[in-house]
Amino acid sequence: MLIGESWLVSLLNSPSPYSEVLGLFAYAVFVGLLVIVVDYFLGWLERKIVAKAQLRHGPTMVGKFGLLQNLADFTKLLAKASYLPKRADRLLFTLALPFMLALAIFLILLLPLVPSFGFGNFASSLVLVFALFSFTPLFIFIAGASSGNKFAEIGSQRSVLMLLSYELPMIFVIASLGILAKSLNLFAIVQAQSKMWYIFFLPIGFFVFFISMLAELERSPFDLREADSELIAGWLTDVSAPSYTLALFLDYTKTFFGSLLMAMLFFGGWLGPVLPGLAWLLVKALIIAFFIMLVRATAVRMRIDRVLRLGWYVLLPLAVVNLIIAFIV
Amino acid sequence: MGQALQGDGLTTKINVGPIHPSTHGVLRLVVELDGDEIVNVEPHIGFLHRGVEKLMETRNYMQDLPYVEKLDYVAPEAYSEAYISAVESALGVEVKERAQYLRVVLLELQRIASHLLWLGTFLNDLGHFFTVFMWAFADRDKILRLLQEHAGARMFYVNMRLGGLNRDVPPGFEEEVLSVLGDIEKRIPMYESYLEKNEIFMERTKGIGAISSHRAIELGVTGPVLRASGVNFDIRSSKSYYVYDKLNFKPQVVSSGDVFARYKVRMLEMKESIRLVREAIRHMPPGDAVGMPIRLIIPAPKNKEVRVYRETPRGELLIYMVAGQQGPYRVSFRSPSFINLAALPEIAKGAHYADLFAILGSLDLVIPDVDR
Repeated sequence: MLIGESWLVSLLNSPSPYSEVLGLFAYAVFVGLLVIVVDYFLGWLERKIVAKAQLRHGPTMVGKFGLLQNLADFTKLLAKASYLPKRADRLLFTLALPFMLALAIFLILLLPLVPSFGFGNFASSLVLVFALFSFTPLFIFIAGASSGNKFAEIGSQRSVLMLLSYELPMIFVIASLGILAKSLNLFAIVQAQSKMWYIFFLPIGFFVFFISMLAELERSPFDLREADSELIAGWLTDVSAPSYTLALFLDYTKTFFGSLLMAMLFFGGWLGPVLPGLAWLLVKALIIAFFIMLVRATAVRMRIDRVLRLGWYVLLPLAVVNLIIAFIV
Repeated sequence: MGQALQGDGLTTKINVGPIHPSTHGVLRLVVELDGDEIVNVEPHIGFLHRGVEKLMETRNYMQDLPYVEKLDYVAPEAYSEAYISAVESALGVEVKERAQYLRVVLLELQRIASHLLWLGTFLNDLGHFFTVFMWAFADRDKILRLLQEHAGARMFYVNMRLGGLNRDVPPGFEEEVLSVLGDIEKRIPMYESYLEKNEIFMERTKGIGAISSHRAIELGVTGPVLRASGVNFDIRSSKSYYVYDKLNFKPQVVSSGDVFARYKVRMLEMKESIRLVREAIRHMPPGDAVGMPIRLIIPAPKNKEVRVYRETPRGELLIYMVAGQQGPYRVSFRSPSFINLAALPEIAKGAHYADLFAILGSLDLVIPDVDR
């Protein structure tokens, strides 16, 4: 079976006093493994999607359909020399990336992957998820500023500027979801969509959320913090190869998180016939991730002032309209 | 909006290049930023200086030909043709009529290939992830294959000879050219609709880095950059060479002068080049196109000075040459990339940092040509 849900449930229901702790621990390990596997797959998927859009084949040589290419690249990156720039703040610079990765995985842990249990099953867990998620740009700021590189610094400043543009519309959309579901518990929001997915009530909200999420995930056309043609690699300029693997993992973990969240908030999460809940969730999340990657293959990068204008003059009014719609529905 | 990005008068200096993804080679720009606004851009050149002009004095006329091609690796045909016609006019060699038509065909094919490469790299400068780059390279490759069929090489052809070409085109070449042009003609509207319906692309190019026509002439910018500012000047029509006047060549001019106009001029030029090649093939006379053998040495008139103007894909190229006995006594190039780069500090002043790369890309610089 795809998921280890049933044995976890039986473990939870067993009479031992430690069973709940054990169950949650097992769940955390399971989610961690799931994240690694899905991240790896997303990395492969992105290379394939972008390659198809560009009339190329993408990786084909290593493994079936080039599935092992990323493993080979990963190994190569790990084998490279690690370098710490002299100007860098040693502690912050080395800790920022692992912290961000841990945060991203923890965020996925909070999400309701299966209906029966999870860490996020309490009132206003959605607010907690977003509060934590907003830390990512701040960590990027720390990572960029602590490396002492001017390109990294510009990238990290852009990161904070962008936070101003997309965070507010996003929070408005979340508020509209809370109004519809009459709860800010993630589990309750998913459960409330059993009759009808929220995408049908709030298409504008999804539009706003999708675009804000692209910005939050540093995805094209909002990849201004990395902006390879302008800032070399933005806040990652001085990150050497072994730590860069963390950055790649972080990128895909965040993408996975973003698509999971959209699948939960707008497409009914685990709800679906026949297949187990987690399978439905993953299918929906992968479809959303596919579109996120397709945008990367087609878009031109936006300029920072235009991003702010988009956030305040387009997304925010739309988010307010969406909130009004949520009130009416 | 603007205020959030305006600086406080304290500027910071950034060193863009010589190794940077968007400088297309080894150009170094020292950029002074106030917030996100560019206060000053200072190009530092010379990382690729090889002393080509001096080197050419030590070789004979035909040995110099490959050096000239390496000045502009994106459009080598245009440069070798300009050089060979400088030698031709120094030595008083007439170009055969069929060779004139064939040279126009090769030059215009090279122009399309060069503009396609520009399109791809320009989009990358704007932050596009290689998609248009790959498409444009696939199209460019079709042209490179045609040129390879004639010259035997993909990039550096060395197929110009005094008075003609190294050989006539292979049988069936004309039909192949026409079919490739048909393919590319269908693709150009696709690029145009893909980009011009893209809100972000329009935002990033419209009104950015504008030069007025008056200022463009003062700055001396050439080629598509000049014509994008509304100046109707193209060496192909104003100092027509070969058979361009017979083919009813019309310079492509756009008036707005911004990055978008430079993009548009190049797209229009590709269409015009396609038309020119078709016309040239239609009117091409039969006969001999083969020039003189490499080893043939013609006694040159002493200290004869020649100036040859050519419209390369990047703009006006001037070759000044003083003829010597075996090889040139002195060669000097006024290369379009160098002239256009000199205009960068003025165009980029006051722009956003991200726009610097849109502007730099729109100038279509080839750094070996700047440094020589």
